Amino acid sequence: MSVPAVTLRRVFWRCLFLQAAWNRRGMQNLGFAYAIDPALRRLYADPGQRNEALRRHLATFNCHPYTAAAIVGGAIHHEELVAAGAEPPGAPLEYKQVLQGPLAAVGDAFFWSGLRPFFGAVAAVGTLLLGWPALVAALLLYNALHLWLRWTLFRAGYRAGDEVVLRLASLSLPAWAARLRDGGAVLAGVGAGILALVATGRLGLAAGALTVAAAAAGVAALWLRARLLPTAYAALLLGTAAGILAVRFPGAR
Amino acid sequence: MDYLVVAVVAGLAAVERKGFLQAMLARPVVLAPITGLALGDLPGGLLVGAPLELLWLGAVNMGASLPPNEALATVAISAGAVLAGRVLGTGVTPAIAALAIALVGGMATVGRSTDRAIEEWNVRLAARAEALLARGSPRAAVRTNLYGLLLPFAVSAVLAPAAAAIAAWVIPGVLHGLPAADAPLGFGWAALTGVAAAAAARAFRSQRGIGLFAGAAALTLAVGWLAGGIR
Repeated sequence: MSVPAVTLRRVFWRCLFLQAAWNRRGMQNLGFAYAIDPALRRLYADPGQRNEALRRHLATFNCHPYTAAAIVGGAIHHEELVAAGAEPPGAPLEYKQVLQGPLAAVGDAFFWSGLRPFFGAVAAVGTLLLGWPALVAALLLYNALHLWLRWTLFRAGYRAGDEVVLRLASLSLPAWAARLRDGGAVLAGVGAGILALVATGRLGLAAGALTVAAAAAGVAALWLRARLLPTAYAALLLGTAAGILAVRFPGAR
Repeated sequence: MDYLVVAVVAGLAAVERKGFLQAMLARPVVLAPITGLALGDLPGGLLVGAPLELLWLGAVNMGASLPPNEALATVAISAGAVLAGRVLGTGVTPAIAALAIALVGGMATVGRSTDRAIEEWNVRLAARAEALLARGSPRAAVRTNLYGLLLPFAVSAVLAPAAAAIAAWVIPGVLHGLPAADAPLGFGWAALTGVAAAAAARAFRSQRGIGLFAGAAALTLAVGWLAGGIR
């Protein structure tokens, strides 16, 4: 027996709520059970069997919220085999336990350290240069890409089961992540340059120079592992002090 | 009415940030303009959104770790700045934005503490779901997941307007009392945006990050000056 396409789409929609009740004990366990429930209802007509299946998906689970879609799809694949008597009931749980760590690592490295900050930087630089249209464009592009990838992963997990790892490897996400991180560092530099030019336009050359100096000092402090918010407050305070001097000695501006 | 709008925006952002979708709608670069737009000052939201995004670009939820709650802080800062700018009749200026960050930027840290408390509280939801399943109510058990969206909404809907109200009350007083502070605070804002760009470069953890950041900044400055700067 296989799960109908309409139910798969419903499960995918519910995957978007995976972290709704993230908790310190079971982590994403409630979200996983909530997502897969429509598929279990299709597969197990007997309430006792369904409850038993649901109980195994309330076990502790934690993964990246995007790449977890592949595991939800794969778990349905294994539940179909369990329902058909082709696998023991523990197989879906084993599948989840084996894959959650590696897929979390892939998701953190590609989406959270690469794609999303890259688009955040694109949106920030775009906003500084062109205003809200660039922001909307960056947001639409990010979501078209991220939702397509989430759906692709879900479908690959469902169709391929254990083979989803090979499908994932074919996407070369770690290589893309490295490119995005380099591109993001370039965008941050472009952002620093634009912000210095904006400050120059507003308050004169001294303000632009101050922005550049703060960026250089910020790089040094943060690479030496200074904490972010105190560093930002120190910049605000020292910058204001420099501003008092610049106002008192207007020749400096 | 304004504070009700701020409460709803902050609550929805808290839900989108972790519990549902995660489509960048709760990121500062998007959330600050949304807050500004909701309060009738889109340019004010845009002014603070981009630097805040760069500042908190590395604030991501990896594994069980909790980053600062940049969404809560963003709503508090942008709403406080917009409302203060309205009182002063100037709109959001760099000086107002600088004071708003100084006053309520710490909400990011407060938000991290409340996030941790919510995750502890959600253990009860998991236990409730297990109990409901044991009693033979599977639909009610899985629905428990959605109840987890309520507390983040409520906490942010209370904290963000409260912090914004403090900023909206203090900032006009400061700038009325010390009008000469406007330009120096503008310099403070400029320095903060420089650190924000540095934080963004750091967030990418690229092995060639410093070189790429410095090279791109220098090139942008050169091109900008040749083109006559940006106003």
